[in-house]
Amino acid sequence: MEERLSMDCKMEDDLSRSEEEDQQVKIKCFREPHRQIEKRRRDKMNNLIDELSAMIPACQPMAQKPDKLTVLRKAVQHLKALKVGTSSAFADSTNKPSILPQDDLRQLLLRAADGFMLVVSCDRAKILFISESVAKILNFSLLELTGQSLFDFIHPKDINKVKEQLSSWEYPKEPMIDAATGLQVQTDAPVRPTHLSSGAWRSFFFRMKHSRVAGKQEEKHQLPCAAKKKDTSRYCTLHCTGYMRSCPCSQLDSEGDAETPSLSCLVMLCRPLPHGSPQPPKDINAKPSAFVTRCAIDGKFTFVEQQATTVIGYLPQEVLGTSCYEYFHQDDLQHLAEKHRQVLRSKEKIETLCYKFKTKYGSYVSLQSQWFSFTNPWTKEVEFIVSSNRVMSRGPGHIKDEKSGRLKAMQEETKQIPIIPSLSNGVGTMIYAGSIGTQIANELLDSYSRVNSSPSSGASSPFGSTNEKCPLVSPPISTSASSGGGAASSSSQSDSRTAAGASCATADSSGQVSQLELDGMVVPALSSFSSDEAAMAVIMSLLETEVNVGQPGDYEDLHWPF
Amino acid sequence: MMTADKEKRRAISREAARRRRRVESEVFEDLSRLLPLQQSVRDHLDKPSVIRLTLSYIRMHTLLTGKTGTKAEASHKVKCGQVTDDQMVRHEFNGGCGEEEEKERYDADASEETNMYLRILEGFLMVLSTEGDMIYLSENVSKYMGLTQAELMGHNIFEFSHPCDHEELRNNLRVTAEEVWSGEKRDFVMRIKSALTHRGRSANLKSATWKVLHCQGRSKVCVAPSSVSCLLLTCQSLPLSHTLLSTQTFTSQHSMDMRFTYCDQRMTMLLGYSTEELLGRSIYDLCHTRDTNCLTKNHFNLCFKSQSVSGRYRMLVRGGGYVWVESHSAVIPNARSSKFRPGTNQPLCILCVTYVLSGVEEPSLQLSLDQTVHI
Repeated sequence: MEERLSMDCKMEDDLSRSEEEDQQVKIKCFREPHRQIEKRRRDKMNNLIDELSAMIPACQPMAQKPDKLTVLRKAVQHLKALKVGTSSAFADSTNKPSILPQDDLRQLLLRAADGFMLVVSCDRAKILFISESVAKILNFSLLELTGQSLFDFIHPKDINKVKEQLSSWEYPKEPMIDAATGLQVQTDAPVRPTHLSSGAWRSFFFRMKHSRVAGKQEEKHQLPCAAKKKDTSRYCTLHCTGYMRSCPCSQLDSEGDAETPSLSCLVMLCRPLPHGSPQPPKDINAKPSAFVTRCAIDGKFTFVEQQATTVIGYLPQEVLGTSCYEYFHQDDLQHLAEKHRQVLRSKEKIETLCYKFKTKYGSYVSLQSQWFSFTNPWTKEVEFIVSSNRVMSRGPGHIKDEKSGRLKAMQEETKQIPIIPSLSNGVGTMIYAGSIGTQIANELLDSYSRVNSSPSSGASSPFGSTNEKCPLVSPPISTSASSGGGAASSSSQSDSRTAAGASCATADSSGQVSQLELDGMVVPALSSFSSDEAAMAVIMSLLETEVNVGQPGDYEDLHWPF
Repeated sequence: MMTADKEKRRAISREAARRRRRVESEVFEDLSRLLPLQQSVRDHLDKPSVIRLTLSYIRMHTLLTGKTGTKAEASHKVKCGQVTDDQMVRHEFNGGCGEEEEKERYDADASEETNMYLRILEGFLMVLSTEGDMIYLSENVSKYMGLTQAELMGHNIFEFSHPCDHEELRNNLRVTAEEVWSGEKRDFVMRIKSALTHRGRSANLKSATWKVLHCQGRSKVCVAPSSVSCLLLTCQSLPLSHTLLSTQTFTSQHSMDMRFTYCDQRMTMLLGYSTEELLGRSIYDLCHTRDTNCLTKNHFNLCFKSQSVSGRYRMLVRGGGYVWVESHSAVIPNARSSKFRPGTNQPLCILCVTYVLSGVEEPSLQLSLDQTVHI
């Protein structure tokens, strides 16, 4: 002890001596940073001491801020006090000391992972062990599960999948991707025996039953329709990862075969997926009068939820591919076209006013929508618009509009040039509704072509592919209208172009900057990919290979705890 | 004369300072001896580290022994007689040893079980305070970051994470009062410094590379004696190991904007789209619109962090309806590209391994244009 202390002092002296020497040797302009380093060190220490005093109850009620030594002494007393009454493994000299008792660590892990450990025999899927945390997740108690067959608790459609994972399967090895060429490699090699050996890794998903007995409170939230079905079991989707192990039979399975001294089993950690089990949409759908749709940037429907049918009368497949403008009332065209333009240039959600949507039966329903344009994180271009639509009221909304019938008739025959709605009042003008959307989309695409004069490295030419997605030609009904639209009355086109140009100005510059930023930023994590080897390692670990089968040795020496 | 006095005074003050330092060192010694650490670790601790580890110890103790933080936890314990169940099971296996032995056995069992979890998880446990202090890290953190538990514990996560991920990290650390009571979940990807070389050896932090971690967990709080709330997180190293691709799994490749450049036969079998149909199509078109956010987040992670785990989303089946899936993806150099020239930036592509989680739901529903278009 004495020696130790004197050594410490010597060290301190050495330090201070060397500090003096340093200060003597260094010229004035170097003394500043040195002092700063020292100051930083002192500040850091003071901060730590402050934090410590905040955590120690004995230091709290003091009037004056306690000095360093006092805080340290109180800390020592506090730690001694904490040790009294703990049932941890610290006191035991044989066990490796750790900051946290092993049991606490185990609990924390299971809490963080929100999972449970499951050990099943490979031959009959008998549940050999399951950790108590399963109760929180599936509502079953240990007694209900231990010793049972796992298959009794699995969704019927997943039984084969789980069987496959528990056994060595005979089907030919799945095609892998050759990392060098990126092409599929066909192999007819038989399954390697290592798949069943200890250390073989498994990762798969399956649905497991959720007990309804214990969770009486949860049943209140279930809709009555669920109870009417015969099989009212609820399932929870689990992600299971783990290793194959062989374990001595006598320890675990009293029914063990004399012929098989050791049992092959799978040790897994099962975690439920974050958002609970997939339920049929009927449960989720609390508001039947709301539905979601997706349109291409020209307004053509590309996705329509089934709930839409109760509102608009059409089945999704009846409207898919048609332009939303075909269903808008003439009076709303101007406002909606404006919102359309707005949403393509904004990162915010755009709220429309109330508008009328033509149903299958000719009547109109009053809707209000929230539009949001999706921008591809890589290309930074708008690819589609998502619309959340809700019904405003059914009463006055269902107007049989004579004008609309007339308008439709006119639309069929028209060969006239489409006119931008803002320039017209609707009466007496021939509007082919769908092309409004197309025109607005073209404005956007033009702005992109000005920004992206050359495709950036690594990305396929964004302009080219967007082109295919949103053809510049109008729908086939009136082809001459499309050529007319293409040629376009120069005045209206140039108007729209300047308008678009003005509103796009900021988008251009920001679009350009962020693309550059993206190029620079995109692969910070791939700096370690300087070698092909490292890249291969990533690919190989995404697909199973010899390299990653796992080290059997690691497992054999673990004492089997159950 | 004056100088001699001054010298004498200086000598006295130096001696006093030495005494203070000696006493201080003693106390630090006492403190470090009380910490449950291995001797080898203890010998190398500097003074700030001793305080850091003491803080961690006290905070973890407070967290674990304080009153239960979540209402759900408290009531559940009562419902299932949780602790009793567990002890009962162990008692069966132990065959009823003496209490002392049983306690030892219990601890040893817990230790083995914990090690098993950590290996299966392919990650480590991290407890983060709301300010981002790494209050606790499981010992195996050294396998992922190249630095030991003692070196890291008590430091702040912001010192070790990628600056571009700081905002997302801050958002995740922000736990409202309500969220904390309900054990709010967290799920995000972050880049962390790793002092490990490719071959797994520990190197200098100065030459650290970025490692991508998938962090999942929940908030935890205890109310007495003092209010401590924190995040419990499991941090898994990406990419995760994968098993042999089974019948319910398929791979696909995409350009960086998530358009398909390749898909394997299994995708055709499971979803009905042929490769020709998919080439050039965006994955966003193939999925349920309500899952757009999930896919966007996944795409962002890929663009900026190069790896991602998507969480559940719905993929539309060609003939109608949809399946729930989860994708594990990574950005890789596109070796196939004809544009590849050695020495320049390699063009990149995205490799996805997608697990099908459910059967086909609502098979009669046609929701998207791709489902209805006939070649």
